[in-house]
Amino acid sequence: MPRLGERLSAEPDSYESAVERLESIIDRLDSGQAGLRETLELCREGRELVTYCVAELDAVGEGLKELRLDELAARLEEAPAEAG
Amino acid sequence: MDLPGPFPVGRYARKLEEEMRRRARVSLIGEMTGFSRSRTQAYFELRDSEGAIPCSIWLNELEKLEVPESGLRDGAELVIGGGPDYYRGSAHASPSFSFRATHLRLAGEGDLLARLEALRKQLRSEGLFELQKQLPRPLLPRTIGVVTAESGAARRDLVAGLERRGWGGSVVWGFAPVQDRRAAPAVTAAIQDLAARPEIEAIVVTRGGGSLADLWAFCDETLCRTVAMLRVPVIAAVGHERDSTLIDDVAAVSCSTPTHAAEAAVPLDCNSARAGLQRCAASLSRAGEGAVGSRSRHLVALSRGPARAIQRERVALNQKTREMRAAGERRITEQTDFQRRIAAVVLQRAAGRAAGPEMRSRREGLRRAEVALRAHQPERTLERGYALAESGDGEPVTSAAAAAAAGRVKLRFSDGRVDAEIGGEIERGT
Repeated sequence: MPRLGERLSAEPDSYESAVERLESIIDRLDSGQAGLRETLELCREGRELVTYCVAELDAVGEGLKELRLDELAARLEEAPAEAG
Repeated sequence: MDLPGPFPVGRYARKLEEEMRRRARVSLIGEMTGFSRSRTQAYFELRDSEGAIPCSIWLNELEKLEVPESGLRDGAELVIGGGPDYYRGSAHASPSFSFRATHLRLAGEGDLLARLEALRKQLRSEGLFELQKQLPRPLLPRTIGVVTAESGAARRDLVAGLERRGWGGSVVWGFAPVQDRRAAPAVTAAIQDLAARPEIEAIVVTRGGGSLADLWAFCDETLCRTVAMLRVPVIAAVGHERDSTLIDDVAAVSCSTPTHAAEAAVPLDCNSARAGLQRCAASLSRAGEGAVGSRSRHLVALSRGPARAIQRERVALNQKTREMRAAGERRITEQTDFQRRIAAVVLQRAAGRAAGPEMRSRREGLRRAEVALRAHQPERTLERGYALAESGDGEPVTSAAAAAAAGRVKLRFSDGRVDAEIGGEIERGT
């Protein structure tokens, strides 16, 4: 977990880590203790996290997709045969 | 080979038969499999996860027990009473071992519960209840696996629960029979196959309510050991709230209904999460704009600072000037008043002094001066017999020469004047 005010070097590991980080950012901003530079940096990082979280929600937001395990297994078995 | 014997095998077989038949009679519980009948006997095996025993029962005894025919099938849970039996065979017949049952009944709920408790105790002592609970569960999985019956309310309820949370990820269905003990291997295989797929982040195992015998597959030791060892979290929603199967104990989460299982599989309510993210975005914008805005306002205020300070100083200076002027005027008035008061005091004191003994002394002096002065008045001198020569216009004639020159003078006596003519020579000396 990056320190407050530290730039994110990479995308968050998961939705929960992104949300956890976002909450700590909001708490820090709400405390009113962050200086201007830190505030702007936190806002930028926060917006990136919001974008990431929205993308994660969008990924599961297009309606339930139902697959059958036996069909997946059959597809898996066919694939090597086709490749061969 | 330094062993007793060799003994004739028939004699040894008879001894073995006798020993077997002397063993204590007990009752056993297990799952029936391979039931068959001969002309006189019925044969089957009684099994559980740890082992199996071949059993036999005389048909006439079985008939007396009135066990329903439908219960005598593979997978039925039986309680049998009897003891071990060994048929020693002969020169023409093969020997055989079996548990000779004299009593046989289908296992009741109490038998199953007792067996379940023993198994639960065993698995708990091995720490298998904790393994799944230590696994991290994703808040927002993209793909989940589900083991359930293809046709059933549980499937429908689960889908409804997922959709209610606004979740539209992928569900991989591992359909399997979920009724009674025989379902366990199929359920176990489906769970294992789902867990083998890397995209699956959580597995739900669900079915509706039923008797303990109906749910017995989910108390299967192999199934439960398999679940406990998986690295993918398993959410169990088997039966109703009052039903407690062994998979509930070993799973990461145990739920009372498929709807609850949907909430456990996708802990994040996507609809609320979207609203929450909007609030976060608004909060971030406010914080950013607020930080810049408040600071820019502060800077503007600071830039106005010097002019305001000068104005403030100017006002203060004017005020001081006014105060000084007023103070000066006040001081002059006070000084004037003071001087007046001093003068009044001095005059008062002088008047006092004049009215006092000093005044009397001065009056006395004046009186004496007046007396002295009066003594020097010409009238006094005239009274003593002297005369004063005066010119015609009343001016004193003070010398003989002046008198001679005037020719005529008036002689003034104390009682009046008379004219006198001057003649003769001037006589010098007295």
